[in-house]
Amino acid sequence: MFALQGRYAAWLFVAPAILLVAVFIYLPMVLNVGVSFYDWSVLRNEFTWKGVENYLSTLDNIDFRSAFANTAIYLAVLVPAQIALPLLLAFLMLRVRNRLLVRAYRAAYFIPTIVSFSIAGVVWLWMFNPIVGFLNTFFEAIGLQSHRWLNDPDMALWCVAAVAFWKGFGLNLILYAAALVGIPREVVEAADLDGAGPWTRALRIEIPMISPTLFFTGVTTVLIVMDEIVGVVDVLTEGGPYNSSSNLVYYLYDRAFRQFNFGEAAAVATLIIAIVAVATWLQFRAFERYVHYQ
Amino acid sequence: MTGMKNSKIKIGRRAALGMGVSTAAVMVAGGAARSANASIDIVHFFSGADHPMELVIKAFNAKNLGVTAVSRQEGTTYEAITQKAMAGIAAGRPPAVMTTGWKLASFAKHTLGAQDLRQFGADGGAIIDNYKESVVKLVTIEGSIVGIPWALSTPVLYINTEHWKAAGLDPAAIPTTIEDLYAKLGQMQQKTNKAVLAYEVNEWEPQAFIQNAGGDVLDGAGKPVMDSAAAVYGMQKFVEAKTRKLWNPIGLSEMLTAFQAGALSAMVTSSARLSGVKAQSAFEIKLAKMPGLEGRPRRMNSGGNFLSILARNKEQQAAAVQFLKFCATPEAMKIWLGTGYLNTTKHDLPIPAGQEAAYAQLADGLTPETVWPGARGLEALKAHIDWISRIVNGSVSVPDGLKGSKEAVAKLLV
Repeated sequence: MFALQGRYAAWLFVAPAILLVAVFIYLPMVLNVGVSFYDWSVLRNEFTWKGVENYLSTLDNIDFRSAFANTAIYLAVLVPAQIALPLLLAFLMLRVRNRLLVRAYRAAYFIPTIVSFSIAGVVWLWMFNPIVGFLNTFFEAIGLQSHRWLNDPDMALWCVAAVAFWKGFGLNLILYAAALVGIPREVVEAADLDGAGPWTRALRIEIPMISPTLFFTGVTTVLIVMDEIVGVVDVLTEGGPYNSSSNLVYYLYDRAFRQFNFGEAAAVATLIIAIVAVATWLQFRAFERYVHYQ
Repeated sequence: MTGMKNSKIKIGRRAALGMGVSTAAVMVAGGAARSANASIDIVHFFSGADHPMELVIKAFNAKNLGVTAVSRQEGTTYEAITQKAMAGIAAGRPPAVMTTGWKLASFAKHTLGAQDLRQFGADGGAIIDNYKESVVKLVTIEGSIVGIPWALSTPVLYINTEHWKAAGLDPAAIPTTIEDLYAKLGQMQQKTNKAVLAYEVNEWEPQAFIQNAGGDVLDGAGKPVMDSAAAVYGMQKFVEAKTRKLWNPIGLSEMLTAFQAGALSAMVTSSARLSGVKAQSAFEIKLAKMPGLEGRPRRMNSGGNFLSILARNKEQQAAAVQFLKFCATPEAMKIWLGTGYLNTTKHDLPIPAGQEAAYAQLADGLTPETVWPGARGLEALKAHIDWISRIVNGSVSVPDGLKGSKEAVAKLLV
């Protein structure tokens, strides 16, 4: 028999997790930064030193700049929308007394989240079809002008944003609903006894009490909008017309796996890691102080 | 524990010897079978158990030639299967045979290491002898024959005959020039108020217009020349359909869906799509040669893919050669024609119903799909497509767009 004691025991227990994270996350990140300074021929396993040339050519590339601008638009539109609207719906859902109806709403809102991108994409492609699609048929029926939707460079990005919102808002909604239900009843009752109306109660009691959930969804929504929107982009527009709906991660995918330019793709990946790290750090700096864990 | 003790099986010396001998026999037999029957992976992107690609593989395996071909559908695009092939090559296990798009021919030779068929001596030569000289040229990259010309298609005009009849037009008298086509479609639009035309917005169909106008995308040395006066004229004819409001540019899948639903009177797409489009449509479809440009000689292009050998070891290469040998037979080509691709061989096979226009176009002579050379060829292709898309969407004029394309492509093809 032997006993695990002291700090060695703690290290032993966390070692598997640390090892996995080190091998599958940090090591590839470090290697990626290394590759970004080379022109890497995967097949011949040849590395040609390029210094910062991959970074310079990336920053100079008009497609990268357009992907960067689009990413900013997606974040500016989708992050507030995916936080505010599900929160509002969660509040409204709490006011519904009929349990069956609540379950039906919850299921209806959550289903898009669990539908795969490929299936959702096929359905939305049909909806957006400019000639036989539902949207134009409906628009024409009510006397509105029809559109080219995904094929229109001025609209493609907004179509992608709309589908990404439809696909993603259910998750936050469920999290907010669960957090709101978890607020101790006596707190809410005390607020009612003190004469707090629904707005005051929501702004002064409920939102501060679910601040850990709000903070968590704030951070994860940024990551989801950066990353998961790629599925929608790929199925609906493939970044087009002429990169008008692309984003940074899709640009990375395109450089690496369609054009097989791994050195430049590694530079793009490094830039994305830096952007995400800075964005997350800023979120922590700006909002963590407002989070109440008790 | 007691139960376990009781259930122990005693093995005597004779039984143990017998088991050893039988195990050895199975191993020897298995080893012999393995060396006699090589297994090769055929990578492609054709889905469906009854797809002609699967049927060709099945027919090959039924011959029991000592080679088992394993069908591996590893994606739905050339790029997707190329990615996976690259991963396999990097790991030292390249697919033996891979379906490769014409546009990736240079990439296949220089990066994927597609083998020159002539290095396989008489066998390689015998395979190539089955194909028409004009199509062998399409797989000849810098003097190497990088595969067998397996799938050949060409852009043709698909007609919904019901719309044409409804507009009082004769579906048997399809216009032979773009100018006449646009005039007829204008009449049709006035009468039917339907969407009348769709082109694919890619590099392939504009190439047809550029060539029919007397221009080229890249010249013989691989230099971009898509901004020549002739090329500008060709592209202007392409986008004229939009400026005349005959064509509202849409995506490929949307175009096919609309046509199959009977909501589109005509579209230009690959002749190889006929069987798929027919299967989903409830009206009579007619294929016509892609109209040329008035007063200019026709010079239509082709597309499709070839089967290349990527195997590196001798046994796999020999087995791959066996498979390609079968693909070059009339039996395999007959099965393959079920796809809608054109007959690239010298074998006299019946023309599949409905494909007469595509074969007539083939008989006129087809140029290859543009092969994008160099390490950044695929990037150059994308840059060109983006400029085509800008032109079609009206973001730039035709001359400016083609000039922009030339500049972007020239930087990447250095």
